[in-house]
Amino acid sequence: MQIKNELAKIVGKDYVSESLKDREKYSRDQSLLPPGLPDAVVWPGSSEEVAKIVTWCNEKNIPVVPVSSKMHFHGSSIPKQGGLVVDMSRMNKILEIDTDNRLARFEAGVTWEQLTTELAKKGHRVIMPLLPPGDRSVLTDTLEREVPTNIVYDYGEPMQSVEVVWPTGELFRCGSASVNGFPDSQSRGANPSGPGLDFYRFFQLAQGTMGIVTWMSLKIETIPTIDKIFFAPVDDLEYAMNFLYRILPRRIGQECLLLNSSDLAAIAADTMPDDYDELRAKLPPWTLILTIGGLVRRPEEKIAYEQNFLKEILKNEFPKMGLTDNLPGFPGLGRKMMPLLRQPWPTNLPYWKNGVKGACQNLFFITKPNRVPIFMEAMEFVAAKYDYPYGDIGSHIQPIEHNRACQIEFSFFYNPDDANEKALIAEMYKDASVTLFNEGAFFSRPYGDLSSMVFDKAAGYTAALKRVKNVLDPKNIMNPGNLVF
Amino acid sequence: MSIVKSAYNAIESVVGSRFISDDPAICEGYRSGPGGYESGLGYERVMTTIPHAVAMPKTTEEVQKIVKICNRYKVPYVPYATGFYGPRSHCHVENELLIDMKRMNSFEIDEKHFCINVGPGVIYSPIQQECLNKGAYVVIGGGGAQASAIANLIGDGWSPLSHRIGLPHRRILGTELVLPDGEIVKMGSLANGDDPFWGDGPGPDLRGLLRGFTGLRGCLGIVTKMAIKTLPFQPEPLVPTGISPNTGLALPTNRVKWINYQVPNKAAQIKAMFEVGKAEIAGAITKVPLFWRAINKAECKEEFWELWGKENEETIKNFFIVRVLLIGFTSEEQMQYDENVLNDIMAECGAVPRATRPLDESWIKNADSAGMWLMCGSYVSVDYIIESLSQATKHGEFYADTKKKYTPPLMPDYGDPGWFQSFECGHQGYSEFLVYWDQDEDTNGVDQFYLETSKMNIRERCYTSLLGPHQPMYLTGPMYGPNYHEWMLKIKDEFDPLWVCHPPVPLAHDEFVKRAEWMKPMEDWETPEKLPMPDWK
Repeated sequence: MQIKNELAKIVGKDYVSESLKDREKYSRDQSLLPPGLPDAVVWPGSSEEVAKIVTWCNEKNIPVVPVSSKMHFHGSSIPKQGGLVVDMSRMNKILEIDTDNRLARFEAGVTWEQLTTELAKKGHRVIMPLLPPGDRSVLTDTLEREVPTNIVYDYGEPMQSVEVVWPTGELFRCGSASVNGFPDSQSRGANPSGPGLDFYRFFQLAQGTMGIVTWMSLKIETIPTIDKIFFAPVDDLEYAMNFLYRILPRRIGQECLLLNSSDLAAIAADTMPDDYDELRAKLPPWTLILTIGGLVRRPEEKIAYEQNFLKEILKNEFPKMGLTDNLPGFPGLGRKMMPLLRQPWPTNLPYWKNGVKGACQNLFFITKPNRVPIFMEAMEFVAAKYDYPYGDIGSHIQPIEHNRACQIEFSFFYNPDDANEKALIAEMYKDASVTLFNEGAFFSRPYGDLSSMVFDKAAGYTAALKRVKNVLDPKNIMNPGNLVF
Repeated sequence: MSIVKSAYNAIESVVGSRFISDDPAICEGYRSGPGGYESGLGYERVMTTIPHAVAMPKTTEEVQKIVKICNRYKVPYVPYATGFYGPRSHCHVENELLIDMKRMNSFEIDEKHFCINVGPGVIYSPIQQECLNKGAYVVIGGGGAQASAIANLIGDGWSPLSHRIGLPHRRILGTELVLPDGEIVKMGSLANGDDPFWGDGPGPDLRGLLRGFTGLRGCLGIVTKMAIKTLPFQPEPLVPTGISPNTGLALPTNRVKWINYQVPNKAAQIKAMFEVGKAEIAGAITKVPLFWRAINKAECKEEFWELWGKENEETIKNFFIVRVLLIGFTSEEQMQYDENVLNDIMAECGAVPRATRPLDESWIKNADSAGMWLMCGSYVSVDYIIESLSQATKHGEFYADTKKKYTPPLMPDYGDPGWFQSFECGHQGYSEFLVYWDQDEDTNGVDQFYLETSKMNIRERCYTSLLGPHQPMYLTGPMYGPNYHEWMLKIKDEFDPLWVCHPPVPLAHDEFVKRAEWMKPMEDWETPEKLPMPDWK
């Protein structure tokens, strides 16, 4: 009751709760990690309120767990040590859309659905990961470096300035928004870097352990006026990777990705499970999806030079790559997929990864594209150990920045009500993590059980990380129990 | 007190007697000055000195051992690559060890994955050539191709070619850092393996320790390895041509060409940059100040002054050139598409194309050779800032106004408001303001102007490159963040509790204001009487 009374003085009594019903909502997520109950939940309405809450928690040594989205996959917002959940969903204002400087500034609670809708009204979009849930926080996914499907920009990081609340409660603006009086200033917040140090880096991939980011500026792009989508059935991943090595550095394409039959069926199926099963049976093992876009000026000419380049390469160098504007045997797939690549998953439908069996455990990492076949073989080996059909695992290969790297994501679909299957998936996930890590997979975002494996091997980095954490959060109140803190 | 003999001997046992010296003739070679940048200013005179000894390690392990010895014997040290940046990268205190990184000069290119792994002794020139040979390029900073790639990337690191990717921070991949106390941190994919192709993680990104918007000048450790992201270019060779000093790269105009446009006014210059950015074309687009033309035309200083002396406030005000670099990244057809779009935009802006030589004299390979800026003997960029085009296109005018009061000793330039350009396809704008002076004259006014610009940026609410160690932290700190200085000093204290790593940076400019009598009247902000660091005088 003391927490509630104290916090009510900051946010008002309607925006703080100690009820079991409210607390339980935050005690578990979509991951396989065990639940943890917070002591209270608070819904601040402004940065100043967040700062006061964190100041109070720091004084009282109460853990703070920031939460911005309605759907969570990795266990990072499960309170490991109780404390206070700070739910940022009320802070859902789009503060500005500056179409001259092509930036949008918005609060932590702004969702993908909200932002993409508002930007589209002004003819703009953001580069985004594949079909994020519509009610996920854009800010959180950006901070966590979710990999975008767009591969054409040299800058894979769209984030610009941010405002943060340090673990000790002070408000701070990183980058060029740090100027006195921002946003009533010459500076528009277009640079994340500085002042003094690149503090913004400490908040990236931090899972809320370094402070609370209250708003962010993000680059926005114009929506192409003409789009074309291409598909290629792929059964030889090495050949496909070599094709991407050839075309993506030549700045061809907007979105580009490879999906195996399970993932593509999960996205494209109209009904579950009938349509999904039928699609999976008919789809090729892998499908390459590539879009090209004509922008605001001379869009036909842009489409033409990209198509002509592709035509030459396909004819002279990659004759076996059957890249066409529809996947043979799947008429209408192009019309269906094109909008899906620029939109979040609708909030009124079960999330596409959960549509298959009800739940999904994800495993993803960064590597080089030429190592993709090695990791696929390793995954197949692990699946065989568990008598698990390899083809049932969803697989997504996401090229990054002209194919200089890629992210591989495996989705283990399972029935959450089947304890045996859940246990099997948990075991297989752990085994696969270790196997892939030993093969050289780089887990830049080590969630849950992955963190000890990754940080144990990165001794020097881990030690330095703890020193930074100790400077910024000397009482370790920010989301304790995550990463190595 | 000099470096104690036992410390010297210990370092000698690490690098061998051939790679350590306290010979005054050797040490004199590391004096700040001849480079021109910030040369002859009060900061250089008051705050810099020659090293007591110079060591040249070859490996990370040697660097680590040296740094640990320095901590053990409380020997101040500064890492040094080429020294191009001027006084701020030279020794600041007596009996300091200078760690010259030139021997760590190997590099390896990963052509397929657009990255190049370099040591701190590697300069840009050879790696750019290797990249060009393999269909890629690196952005060579304004410091020039003779600058250390690592030092440039943790310090500054941009040029007109930043139109495609502006922030150098985003080109830093896996990195190895020897912390001020000798501990080693491997960042990005290097943390878990040997391949540095990936920059962030695991978990919170410690690349935040490497720099702010501009660099820390070596006060938070020594970078011993770095993978740098390269960018896809085009396949045609760029052929070196000309006789020194009038050299350049002959451009294959079917795939690479500069075009200069004369536009009617500043509004048209700005519109052109916004529109080129939105159209996502070109490899560079920049304003060309009249000053550059005089530099470019002149073959000697006398000729420069003859040309420059003919200009006046009106000619400066009415000179509007936009220079665009087109690159056929994909094909000749794409090059033609870019040119068609560019012509549409320029027609809307009322621009007229001017005959432009099919030559790149400075930006792709050589960048600004230092000699370009030495018409007075000394120069400095008082600001070089990436923000929005909204700020970039106004920022220089504030500088030009402020500069009037300090001219002379600053070189008269008829109110030239500097230059601006597009970064990251117009998502960002860049502005730079350079000043020039004769170092043989009384330069106190230059020191004062430099500080005055900091107050100007605070007043006008502009972001600026000159934060951290570049200006008094107790002046800028409360006004940016706010209080970024407090966090920065906490980080410094954590990783360098003895302040042995390049003292008294980052508080060196605070210290300078305290020591230089002519700066004291300007001190109208609150500074602790005793700065919170050990006394290294």
